[in-house]
Amino acid sequence: MIRFDNVSKRYLTGLDALSEVTFDIAAGEMVFVTGHSGAGKSTLLKLISLAERPSRGQVVVNHADLARVRRRGVPQVRRGIGMVFQDHRLLTDRSVFDNVALPLLIAGSSRIETAKRVRAALDKVGLLAREKASPLTLSTGEQQRVGIARAIVAKPSLIIADEPTGNLDPQLSVEIMALFAEFGAVGTTVLIASHDLFLLKRMNKRVLVLDHGRLVDDFRPQGVPA
Amino acid sequence: MTRPARNQRTPAVAPKKGAEARAPRGPRTPVAARLSAWRDQHFYSFFSSLGRLTARPWATALTVLVLGFALALPLLFWLVYANARDLSGGLREAREVTVFLKSSADAKVGEVLAGELRKRADVTDVVLHTPEQGLAEFRQLSGFGEALDALQSNPLPTVLVVTPRESLEADNPALVAELKSDPRVDLVQYDAEWRRKLSGILHFTERVVAVVAALLAFATLLVIGNTVRMDIQARSMEISVMQTIGAGNAFVRRPFLYAGFWYGLFGSLLALLIVVTVEFALADPIGRLLDSYTNRFELHGVGIASILVVVAASGLLGWIGAFIVTTRHLAAGRPR
Repeated sequence: MIRFDNVSKRYLTGLDALSEVTFDIAAGEMVFVTGHSGAGKSTLLKLISLAERPSRGQVVVNHADLARVRRRGVPQVRRGIGMVFQDHRLLTDRSVFDNVALPLLIAGSSRIETAKRVRAALDKVGLLAREKASPLTLSTGEQQRVGIARAIVAKPSLIIADEPTGNLDPQLSVEIMALFAEFGAVGTTVLIASHDLFLLKRMNKRVLVLDHGRLVDDFRPQGVPA
Repeated sequence: MTRPARNQRTPAVAPKKGAEARAPRGPRTPVAARLSAWRDQHFYSFFSSLGRLTARPWATALTVLVLGFALALPLLFWLVYANARDLSGGLREAREVTVFLKSSADAKVGEVLAGELRKRADVTDVVLHTPEQGLAEFRQLSGFGEALDALQSNPLPTVLVVTPRESLEADNPALVAELKSDPRVDLVQYDAEWRRKLSGILHFTERVVAVVAALLAFATLLVIGNTVRMDIQARSMEISVMQTIGAGNAFVRRPFLYAGFWYGLFGSLLALLIVVTVEFALADPIGRLLDSYTNRFELHGVGIASILVVVAASGLLGWIGAFIVTTRHLAAGRPR
């Protein structure tokens, strides 16, 4: 599903965010990326969502070489990826329903189909009752769940999340992670950047460890197929 | 808008399954569904942009006021010009050469000259006004009846009004020159001369109207562009979220284009309101002024056609202004 082949990223400032990173993630796998602040976790995710381009190496997502995707093709690629952010990035001037519907509106789904899918997504994250609420009236945990509903509503084959539990207390973090694990279980590839070691241990999934831009460990707990 | 992703070629890596030989992508829909989706998106932008404008009524009102006055000015200019042109149109018909005879010449001389002129090929008609007729006419029109009674003798000369043939459009026709050199003639007043001046003035006014309209149209473009630019800045977060989750330029741009269109539309409606108000305020005094000139001419305001043109043009201006600004923003702040 995702393949990094000797990927390096050097920013214009001269910072080497990633150096010669190589790994492979199979479809339906749930994988964590961890490391200290500035280790390159966010850069790695940005290369997948085409927010950044690698300086060297090849990034392949779903058998497509991203280097071949030109600027006009970028939105189409992003529509195929569900993205979750630490600060959830909801639009505060519209309702929960409209926030979740946004990817479908962009993709051009019909209104009936949109309503159906939005409700299904909200139901999955347990917020169906709040569809008319403004994101501002929700708790942080609920806001993040709306963010997740928005990421899954278009049924992407890949979900990437950058520190999705960064702002949440441990109890909420576990709940959010359990949600992600559910999607992983139904065949969606899930890639989560997180520095919460306690959580990673608890989730017992494959973990890529980055240190100063280098991939120093590819840890697979027992029971997770290589 | 879902458009076929032209740029996603088959990857160099051999695909395992044909259907998967592409980057991950969102839902794809058939053409008819895509068309209706496109319509839905426009519907959405159409109303959401309107909703946003009404959500900030004061800011919107201020912008619309500025636009309204900017658009009303050239409209009023144009109205004045159009009326002046019509007024002069009536005068353009006037080709008469007015010949004032010397006061020594009596009515008989006038009749003789009139007879000579009638025989000429380049004259279609000659009307003789004797001093007596002239006095009576003057008494009636000027309202100086009593003052005229005090006069001992009639000071008015014999007047011949000569209508030349249509073809007589040269700057200084032979007829006029001959009349000027005639010993019996005191003064020749040829209407074409001041008519030329008038049309010169009208031509100049027309150009002024065009230049002012162009400048203010440009100002409209800038005002709308600037307003939309501030709008974009206020919503840059929202734009970046939309781009991150896969919105293309067209999708991001659309609500701003509609906002620009709304600004232009409301601005032009306000401008028309201003113009109608001005018309209304001036109608009475102008009517009286025209009445005193025997009302040969009817004042007219903005017609339906001009209203439609103005509204459409300023809506288009708003759209263009917004397009320029959003395109610039998208080009400058694009996440690569």
